[in-house]
Amino acid sequence: MRTIKLTLNDTAVTREVEDSRLLVEFLREDLKLTGTKESCGVGVCGACTVLIDGKPISSCLALAVHADGCAVTTIEGIAEGDRLHPLQQAFLDHGGFQCGICTPGQILAAKALLDAKPHPTRAEIQEWMMGNLCRCTGYYKIIESIAAAAGAE
Amino acid sequence: MDGASLSGKAVGQPIKRIDGVAKVTGRARYAGDIELPGMIYGRTLRSPHPSARIRAIDTSRAKALPGVRAVLTGADVPDALYGRMCKDVPTLAKGVARFVGEKVAAVAADTIEIAEAALELIDVEYEPLPAVFAEEDAIQPNAPVIHPETVEVFSGAPVAVHGELVMYPPIRNVISRLKVHHGDTAGAFAKAHRIFEHRFSVPAIHQGYIEPHTCLVSIGADGLVDVWAANKGPHIARAHLAAATGVPENRIRFNPVVIGGDFGGKGSLMDIILCYCLARAAGRPVKMVMNSFEELTAGNPRHSATITLRSAVDRDAKLLAIEARVIFNAGAYAGFVPVPTLHGGYGELAGAYRVPNIAIEVLRVYTNTLPRGHMRAPGAPQVTFAVESHIDMIAREIGIDPLELRRRNAIAEGDHTPLGEMRRHLRCRETIDAGARAFGWDKPKAPGIGYGISIYEHPAGNFGRSTVALTVGTDGRLTIQVGSPDTGTGFHTIAAQLVAEHFATTVDDVEVVQGDTLTSGFEFGASGQRLTTTIGQAIAAASDKMKRELTALAAERLNCAPGDIRIGGDGSFSASGATIDRRALMGWAAARGKAPLTCEGVNAPEPSDRTSFAAHFAEVAVDRETGQVRLNRVVTAHDIGTVVNPVLHQGHIEGGLMQAVGQAMSERLVLKDGAVITAHLGDYKLPTMMDIPALETVLLPGGSGAAPFATTAIGEMSNVAVAAAITNAVFDAVGVRLVELPISAEKIVEGVSKKASAA
Amino acid sequence: MVPFTYLEPASLDEALALLAQHGGEAKLIAGGTGLVNLMKQRLARPAFVIGLRALQPLAGISENGGLKIGALATLQSLATSETIRRTAPLLAEACGHVATVRVRSMATLGGAMAHADPNLDTPPALMALDAQIVARSHRGERAIPVEKLFTGYYQTVLESDEIVTEIRVPAQPAGSGTVFLKFLPATQDDYATVSVAARVTLDRNGNIADARVALGAAAMVPVRATAVETVLRGKPADDRNLGEAAALVRDAVDPIEDFRGSAEYKRKMAVVHVRRALAAAAGNAKRAL
Repeated sequence: MRTIKLTLNDTAVTREVEDSRLLVEFLREDLKLTGTKESCGVGVCGACTVLIDGKPISSCLALAVHADGCAVTTIEGIAEGDRLHPLQQAFLDHGGFQCGICTPGQILAAKALLDAKPHPTRAEIQEWMMGNLCRCTGYYKIIESIAAAAGAE
Repeated sequence: MDGASLSGKAVGQPIKRIDGVAKVTGRARYAGDIELPGMIYGRTLRSPHPSARIRAIDTSRAKALPGVRAVLTGADVPDALYGRMCKDVPTLAKGVARFVGEKVAAVAADTIEIAEAALELIDVEYEPLPAVFAEEDAIQPNAPVIHPETVEVFSGAPVAVHGELVMYPPIRNVISRLKVHHGDTAGAFAKAHRIFEHRFSVPAIHQGYIEPHTCLVSIGADGLVDVWAANKGPHIARAHLAAATGVPENRIRFNPVVIGGDFGGKGSLMDIILCYCLARAAGRPVKMVMNSFEELTAGNPRHSATITLRSAVDRDAKLLAIEARVIFNAGAYAGFVPVPTLHGGYGELAGAYRVPNIAIEVLRVYTNTLPRGHMRAPGAPQVTFAVESHIDMIAREIGIDPLELRRRNAIAEGDHTPLGEMRRHLRCRETIDAGARAFGWDKPKAPGIGYGISIYEHPAGNFGRSTVALTVGTDGRLTIQVGSPDTGTGFHTIAAQLVAEHFATTVDDVEVVQGDTLTSGFEFGASGQRLTTTIGQAIAAASDKMKRELTALAAERLNCAPGDIRIGGDGSFSASGATIDRRALMGWAAARGKAPLTCEGVNAPEPSDRTSFAAHFAEVAVDRETGQVRLNRVVTAHDIGTVVNPVLHQGHIEGGLMQAVGQAMSERLVLKDGAVITAHLGDYKLPTMMDIPALETVLLPGGSGAAPFATTAIGEMSNVAVAAAITNAVFDAVGVRLVELPISAEKIVEGVSKKASAA
Repeated sequence: MVPFTYLEPASLDEALALLAQHGGEAKLIAGGTGLVNLMKQRLARPAFVIGLRALQPLAGISENGGLKIGALATLQSLATSETIRRTAPLLAEACGHVATVRVRSMATLGGAMAHADPNLDTPPALMALDAQIVARSHRGERAIPVEKLFTGYYQTVLESDEIVTEIRVPAQPAGSGTVFLKFLPATQDDYATVSVAARVTLDRNGNIADARVALGAAAMVPVRATAVETVLRGKPADDRNLGEAAALVRDAVDPIEDFRGSAEYKRKMAVVHVRRALAAAAGNAKRAL
């Protein structure tokens, strides 16, 4: 067991974790933040995407101890109260999801993109987002949602 | 009712999904997100052999591991076999394992880590037996018999079958044989100008839902069984769980959860019965989540198939007759599908064409491979790939434009379908022409560029029961209770729009509630592009009843006869100059103990003469040297009725397209000695955002469905035929015909060099 | 996931001491994308996992004629680094092709070298750039040419007490052009069917002064195609010469048959892509002249 201290969604958190705990388990099971999803378990699908110090990572491949001292952002942390983040609003307005299971990961990956590059081209959106798989939408409306959010900012 | 009389407030509007805020904020609760006090975790030990006798299992070391609460083998679970139609799936293997990945033992433990450590401590003694993997080998007289015992067949298939169906006919390893004849095929072949025969093969592919099969079972002190499961049809699942365990149906409650994608794969029970057995044995709530490895190697993917087509054609290139033989590989168990044979597997065998004479034989056979299930229009994508390739090959061999051959043979008003049915409002040619115009079919193309077309016909599903309960509250607001989850299709939002439309209001006035299986009426669930139609019928029935009740109340309030009441465009009630809106009326009624009101509605599945068409056009660029195919653009044209929600509708077109692109370009469960070796998403390749073509959608409104407001279906139309448009385009580009999916760059290179050496 | 004890040294010396102490029972972890996958599949079961993330000086990039890249630099930081894109665009390209942005944001260049997955994109790029890795142990430090690093499938010459600390990329000769080609006939996030990194250096007459060619996904280890390189020296970079040289790669590769293609197809694709890579690299070199 180790004690880790992190800033989770702008809140300081101090917790004991098993050395071998994965970040996705730490978030979902220890902290009950179930907005982060786990699917492929091998870092391909992107459902478990969270941001560490603003960078998108696969929480299914990250050790929880590696979040020590970092700022972690999950889907629960990007709206301001009842006001949705512009990306959340754009996904809602433009049909950027259907079943919704990949959506938290999609939105966080897109947030990392727009934070680094507020006005990406369509090609840049596709390149950046290709690690977030979606089986429902065929991606077109995800691209539209991200482009709309970028335009709105 | 038709599209002309819409209020402009609900149906036809791009309403935001009612589950949207929950989904974009991560608050939507999927089965895996539910946690109960004292909950523990179940994991399974799976057979490494494709066919083996289980001589002995020693669980003593596993049971001794601290934190282990229950260890079960085949001897510890009920003898009842599970099956949606054919009852052949054991909860855990009993004495024999029939595929690599079959569950042989299970552990429930305090953590997943302990459960997995315990699995390593279970000793199983196997005696390997002969196995058979390919469908064509399995039906040979000397093949090993995979199910020697008689399999019980449930007789209540939801959809009627044409022709002569025999379950478990006297052919080795055959589950079902369907023969359909119409007309005089032999006569047609005898007078044919030309005859064409081609053979195709299509692999198993995974549905690709991102949420794995997940379940949580809790048995209360009072014996009530609570279930949270990623299952699309909770009422049906409950019946199967009851049958397998002996628990009465009304002691089982499937609780509402959000489903993370279905595409046909979430209709089977998967681990639910086993999870119940573990919860019973451990005395704790047990959660089971299939990991991605288990999903890919032991889920219930689409059937692989071998398809042979033979066609007779006259001098004018008109189809006289089609003979077809399809063998679907069902894997080791038939129980995961609810129908005797895959319906798309015969209904589509003559495509969207006028074919007066057909002779079809469809077999579903056991092999020692993972069991197959349903995926988006079961059977149809396999068969339609074959049909739409076959038609293209005939056109090329005769030397006419593949589009022209399709137009010439397209079914049209007054034609019988190949199955002998008469349908109306057939707009096959119109759909082809609209797509071709947008695509620029006649536009010249550069070397290495190819154009391909495919078409598809299918009606909206109009089968299975849908029940809703509609309540008007004391404040006049509307609540609609439905009995199945939204698997992602948007069906709850559609339900809200349909209710709002009946009452000339907006969806803000409507609440949609998914009941649990104790409180909600029966819902068959998402299947065969049926829900908008069947839930639409149920909502119409409930709304009509409710309007009669409200009219009676309004008559009482306004002191007139019910017949004098007029319902206005805003949903208000008037008679001789006096008007009252729903809210005021219900307030008045509530004060007299007459509100709220609840009305049930049930759909009335009836044979319909309506159908719809899709035509897909693909442009590819093929690198002759590497065989690499780039899908540049797609035009997809759809014969549609009223669109309930244009954003959701287009979402189905785009999602369906990209699933077909996966089927065409990259997806295949590769089996080696019966075991799936594409066992994670690094090797089983789903299309990414970088793999999408430029897309143009052409909609032909004005079609007419059997459903209220003249809606039609889109969920399968967008998907089924697309793969053939892409492979047909590859042929157009480089002259190489692909008769197997997915596209193999290597096969294209081989084909190109064969052609070069022949020239 | 297998259980283990996590250790996080605060300095390189401390890390080396831990490694010396635990040796074969310990595994190093940087980004974790390789090791965690192996541990989840129970293919690796270390008793100790030694985290290197506190050793942030090992993430820097310095330019001094050539490049010195700290082993902990992430692939994403290298793909987007102005310094790398200017001085070793081949490496930036190869890093940018690895998997997806999420993996690139976690995985490090040193980790990718030690992981020794023959399908990875970075080893051929570093071979073509004539790079070396620096490995430290409590016994001292040694530089290993990247082409000498790999001994087998996921195997390297690294000892169990060594840590990759740095990757050194020498200054590229004047007149050089490079390219990285990754052949992806299925989906864009797939492993390569074959990948090629090439550097072509032209003399003042436009003839080939030197060429370096390396391939990924073409054998049990990343492969350098010296036969191709040798035959090109001194020749004009025309289609015929490049084609003839590329044909020699057939015997340099030893591909594994899998669902991405037969061994024979992969050989053919190696030839095609080496030819295309040489032509593109020569084109880039001409523009640089």
